[in-house]
Amino acid sequence: MFANLRRLHAVGAVAVVLAFIGLWALVARFEWVSPVFLPGPGATWSALVDGLRDGDLAALLGQTLMRMTYGWGVAAIVGIALGALIGTSPRLRAWVQPTLEFMRPLPASAIMPVAIALMGLSPAMVLFVIAFGAVWPVLLATIHGFATIEPRLVEVGRVMRISRPGFIWKVGLPHALPDMLGGLRLSLTVSLILAIVAEMLASQDGLGTAVMLAARSFRSADLFAGVVLLGLIGLVTNFLLGLAERRLLRWQHP
Amino acid sequence: MTRATPALRAIPNPGVRADVPLISFDEVGLDFAPRRIIHRLTFSIAPGEIVSVVGPSGCGKTTLLRLVTGLVQPTRGSVRREGRAIDGPAGDVAIVFQDYANALLPWRTVAGNVSLALEASAMSPAQRKVRIDELLGKVGLAAHANKFPRQLSGGMQQRLQIARCLAQEPTILLMDEPFGALDAMTRQSLQDEMLRLVRETRTTVLFITHDLEEAIYLSDRIIALRANPGEQSSLAHTFQVDLPRPRDQLATREEPEFLRLRRQAFDYLLEPQA
Amino acid sequence: MSHSPGRWQGIVLPLLALVAAEAALRVRPTQSDVIAAPTAILRAFLRACADATLLQATAQTLLATGGGLLIGAGGGLVAGVLLGLSRPAAARASLLVELLRPLPSVALIPVALLVFGFGYRLEIAVIGFAVFFPMLLLATAAVRAVPQRLVEVSVILRLSAWSRVRKVMLPAALPRLFVALRLCVGIALVVAVTTEIASNPQGLGFALLSAQQSLAPDLMLAILLWIGVLGWGINNLLLQLEQRWFNAQLDKE
Repeated sequence: MFANLRRLHAVGAVAVVLAFIGLWALVARFEWVSPVFLPGPGATWSALVDGLRDGDLAALLGQTLMRMTYGWGVAAIVGIALGALIGTSPRLRAWVQPTLEFMRPLPASAIMPVAIALMGLSPAMVLFVIAFGAVWPVLLATIHGFATIEPRLVEVGRVMRISRPGFIWKVGLPHALPDMLGGLRLSLTVSLILAIVAEMLASQDGLGTAVMLAARSFRSADLFAGVVLLGLIGLVTNFLLGLAERRLLRWQHP
Repeated sequence: MTRATPALRAIPNPGVRADVPLISFDEVGLDFAPRRIIHRLTFSIAPGEIVSVVGPSGCGKTTLLRLVTGLVQPTRGSVRREGRAIDGPAGDVAIVFQDYANALLPWRTVAGNVSLALEASAMSPAQRKVRIDELLGKVGLAAHANKFPRQLSGGMQQRLQIARCLAQEPTILLMDEPFGALDAMTRQSLQDEMLRLVRETRTTVLFITHDLEEAIYLSDRIIALRANPGEQSSLAHTFQVDLPRPRDQLATREEPEFLRLRRQAFDYLLEPQA
Repeated sequence: MSHSPGRWQGIVLPLLALVAAEAALRVRPTQSDVIAAPTAILRAFLRACADATLLQATAQTLLATGGGLLIGAGGGLVAGVLLGLSRPAAARASLLVELLRPLPSVALIPVALLVFGFGYRLEIAVIGFAVFFPMLLLATAAVRAVPQRLVEVSVILRLSAWSRVRKVMLPAALPRLFVALRLCVGIALVVAVTTEIASNPQGLGFALLSAQQSLAPDLMLAILLWIGVLGWGINNLLLQLEQRWFNAQLDKE
């Protein structure tokens, strides 16, 4: 019975999405919103396909993806390494935590002007901004993961006389993993956002610049095609990370 | 269950050798400023003995165990093992915690959790597997070796913790109200299992409990501590338990000696603490 | 975990850094586009306060943040509560939500630019989108987290559906809804500043960028720090309110 209910809801969910697209098509068709601002789904689709096939949309997509991934990769390595170090040392944490907490609500994009002053409008600046902005979620989450190890487990480790590196590897890391993965996910979101903004500001080749240009030249179909692509990046990366999370944290839902 | 026949009325715990104290507390005091938890505590435990510690909240029962593990050092006096001061955890002292869920690694399977205790030793993975299977068999978890702790019941999780402690091949087994969070039937069956396991290995046991009857049932000797000792010794009273072994849930509890001890212990606790 | 030894240690590092920076820049004054001595930053900050430029920029950012929150968080709240109350509706909406949610709000800046041009409406639209989905999901979760037992009691007491929602479910969900609001305020502020940096010529983000472009590092760093303080301050304020009003009800992390 429940299987039927689930299937019904799945069908309903698809129907809702189709209805949404249908509404979009309707609005565009009857020009309730000017086509200058709102292209129809069909026009968007054509622009998307044409851009990918004949135009340079694919290359731009690649650029944005690469930036995002590199920046995220650097942030991940630095964040996890530093996070493990700080998280496992209460003394270090006492010195450093308040400063880190202050950085937490700071908009990562606010670093951009400083970075521009430092490095000019260059690819290096873009990478730096992305990495710098993306490091905070994963750093703070990793610290939290390592710092909140159940004190009972620490005692168990001491009674069994597990060495310190052994303890960090066998107990600390698995315990911190859920937090770390959550932080990595957030970092990836931040990476994407910063990649887009950095491209917009620094006029680097990428989807961010492309959609800005399309907006300025009133090419709404191209604009929407680019936006859809950006949404897809977000969707796919989130999905992939979610899969990885479920795989690695199998023990949480056996 | 059959009643104990006269033939079973035998010697007390055959593992006890009263000549060399395994653990000795000598005028031990412990303060967690500004509170004085333990004061002038002096007693000793012989190898193979099963000793229970009872007392009201705050009398230092859990702290006592930590002193034996070496996780905590006394403020005054000394805690010795075979004459030498305990300065840190020894590999053959195992402790079973009351909050078993917090003491298990949720990301490892049942077998993986037991393995943790063996990984520091020089065993090969194959040898480890043999030992793990053996231990899980002893506590009756062999069929659940690949499950995760969250899939087990409370009693099973506690048995897992016991299995992991046994993997350390402990000379001294410390238990901090291990069965407190379990239902009565599980508690009784685990009590008997524990007795059976330590009897085989002649392990010395220091056992904390709130349950006086459990204390009498399990031990050779009961130590009653007092809270807020002030200037007095923390050790309020010692009860010798001369009941035959192996113990039996029904028969032993009907022994006149059991009832006498029970009355004595309850009376003692109901007295206003001097 | 470690309160007693740690209270003063947290301030030492930043203080040390400030003192070191000040000393270094006094010993070897450099003409730089990026670095400025802490006292210079302070002076620039005070100047900006005095001539009301900072106040104006802050007001612009906060106004846009507020507007975006009103539309986005408001809409997300209503939608989220409705979806929380009706499981079938939530199940049917879930696919659409999951498809639209991952779109980064900054990707909508060009769209809003096309439609509205520069100004408040651009920013409010982007912020509105940015907080809509987080609020929706958190509000749904808040309503779902109301203990089943309470719902049963309200049914047994024969309360009408509307009364149930008004007298039982919403008050019970209120602590979590407030937490959701706090988080959305944080998001809104970040998106506001980001939008201003990326395109909109008003507010603190734009002031930051302008300071950089006019090669005034002391002002730039002053604004950067001010943005940080503002974000931290608002979050802290909301946290205090949260703890004062809802401390008893929320389970501690």
